[in-house]
Amino acid sequence: MKCEILYPGAFPMVRVYLDASETVKAESGAMVAASPTIDIESKMEGGFLGALSRKMLSGEKFFFQTLRASRGAGEVLLAPTVPGEIVLLELDGVNEYMVQKDGFLAGAEGVKIESKMQSLTRGLLGGEGFFILKIGGTGHLVLNSFGAIHKIELKPNEEYIVDNSHLVAWTSTTTYNIEKASSGWIASLTSGEGLVCRFRGPGVVYIQSRNPGSFGNWIRQFIPVSE
Amino acid sequence: MNPIPNALCFGDGLPGVGAPCHVTVSADGLTMVPVGTSPLVEEAIAFADMSVEAGGLDHDQLVVSWGTGSSARTLYLKDPALIIAFRRAAPAELTAHLERAAVQVRRARHGHRLLWGSVLGVVFGLGLLLWFGTDLIVEWAVARIPIEWEQKLGESVYQDFLSKETVLKEGPAVSAVQEMTQRLTDKIRDNPYKFQISVVQSPVVNAFALPGGYVVVFTGLMTKAESGEEVAGVLSHELNHVLQRHGMERMVKMLGLAAVVGILLGDQQGLTGLAKQVGMELVTLKFGRAQETEADVTGIRLLSDARIAPDGMIRFFERLSEKDKARVEVFSTHPMSAGRAERLKAELAALPKRTPEPFTFQWKTIQDSLGVSDPKK
Ligand SMILES: [Zn+2]
Repeated sequence: MKCEILYPGAFPMVRVYLDASETVKAESGAMVAASPTIDIESKMEGGFLGALSRKMLSGEKFFFQTLRASRGAGEVLLAPTVPGEIVLLELDGVNEYMVQKDGFLAGAEGVKIESKMQSLTRGLLGGEGFFILKIGGTGHLVLNSFGAIHKIELKPNEEYIVDNSHLVAWTSTTTYNIEKASSGWIASLTSGEGLVCRFRGPGVVYIQSRNPGSFGNWIRQFIPVSE
Repeated sequence: MNPIPNALCFGDGLPGVGAPCHVTVSADGLTMVPVGTSPLVEEAIAFADMSVEAGGLDHDQLVVSWGTGSSARTLYLKDPALIIAFRRAAPAELTAHLERAAVQVRRARHGHRLLWGSVLGVVFGLGLLLWFGTDLIVEWAVARIPIEWEQKLGESVYQDFLSKETVLKEGPAVSAVQEMTQRLTDKIRDNPYKFQISVVQSPVVNAFALPGGYVVVFTGLMTKAESGEEVAGVLSHELNHVLQRHGMERMVKMLGLAAVVGILLGDQQGLTGLAKQVGMELVTLKFGRAQETEADVTGIRLLSDARIAPDGMIRFFERLSEKDKARVEVFSTHPMSAGRAERLKAELAALPKRTPEPFTFQWKTIQDSLGVSDPKK
């Protein structure tokens, strides 16, 4: 599988080349176009219960589609629903990413996706449901965001504080705690919940430059309530 | 040949996600071989030169550190076999650290398991109780939800709903509904809610009340009603669904596990997120038989207290159920069960006789303003 980001920036698309009989996992609904040799298998990743728990508890779409080049090599074009940057990661079998529920766009055949139960306090306070995706294995992993993706690299024991609604993904060597924002943060916080994540390195944290929730609220003021 | 990476190395000059490497354990330390193209160089580290702790998101990784300054390195081992090999080979003074780390991991896991186990146990118990028809647990759980939170939820669904509908801002129909509501709410004792009522332009024959006291009356209901008392009857019923917190009870039943867990932990933040997902379903929420009866009975008492002729609702329901039951939405959200009408009549008969006080408006005028040409014949 080869991956290429087209139109990098706010409205990107991913071109995935598949060899004959190769597959790619994609968020359902992400496929924009494909060669006629590509078939969609609606296999449920993580079994029925896994899919159900994702759906029920993280609001995730029910299926990850598996797209297979069953009738010969071909290409697939994938795009996320929201405008925002796409980041292409390479998994080598040891690195693992925790991905916020809407962040996954596509993954190679060797990429393993698990719904991971967050520790109770993290899940409840984080406002992201009880499950996040734990993604490991090998091959390309494509994440999408709302706005631009910004990468924060943390050295061992280095800390960084992030408004949790801006989180996209972080490495599993990075630990974090959910905290109440200190007073200085409250004013600038967009989540309205007054909660932030304190990350501690080593590892990498990907954040998105826009917050879907705040954007929704902002846009709502322009929708007229008719007489 | 390139070995398979089994660890990540962090430090100055190395990638932020860690440099993949292959680690092997020997009698006196570790050997680390970089995998792939990497600024990392092969290194052998003696047990005497390293420190060890447990780390990573789940506290299940072995973190080995050595060196100082720019040559400081931190190694994250995740492979269980590798960790076991390390523990066997390492000397006692290192093992003390390790055992402490292992105990930490076990304790954390045990704690999680215990917590989830007890939560599941409680939820399973609740499920059993619910299965056998007891609504007491749900009521108990709902009683723990603060009114303010209920209002927050109701309001967000209410605003969402109204933003998609045509809301009547003023006019005879709006004043009439406000008058009815005022007369009813004046008679509610210890009312924790500030009721908000909107009249929505729609042929739907229904009215609904969201948790927290947000009420919507559709003009379809008003055009089908033959008197203000009939509308007031439905309103009183709706207000009592709110006062008895029926919407919250249905939601807790619907959300099941997650909501109950949220409530048990006294933490409404997570619940708010989940509730948003089912928000719109609140609008079309179907109440249970016991809830209908409760709202009927308390609704009729409230009407009587407010000196509004209390038989309005039952007349309205009876008249509509004769004709087009299937097309009238009010029956789908407030199912009319066998015996419900009888209960209503019995309750009606038991009420002290009070002389009703008429409304200040003429029903005919209200209906004319809604464009009803000939409501009766
Ligand atoms: Zn009802």
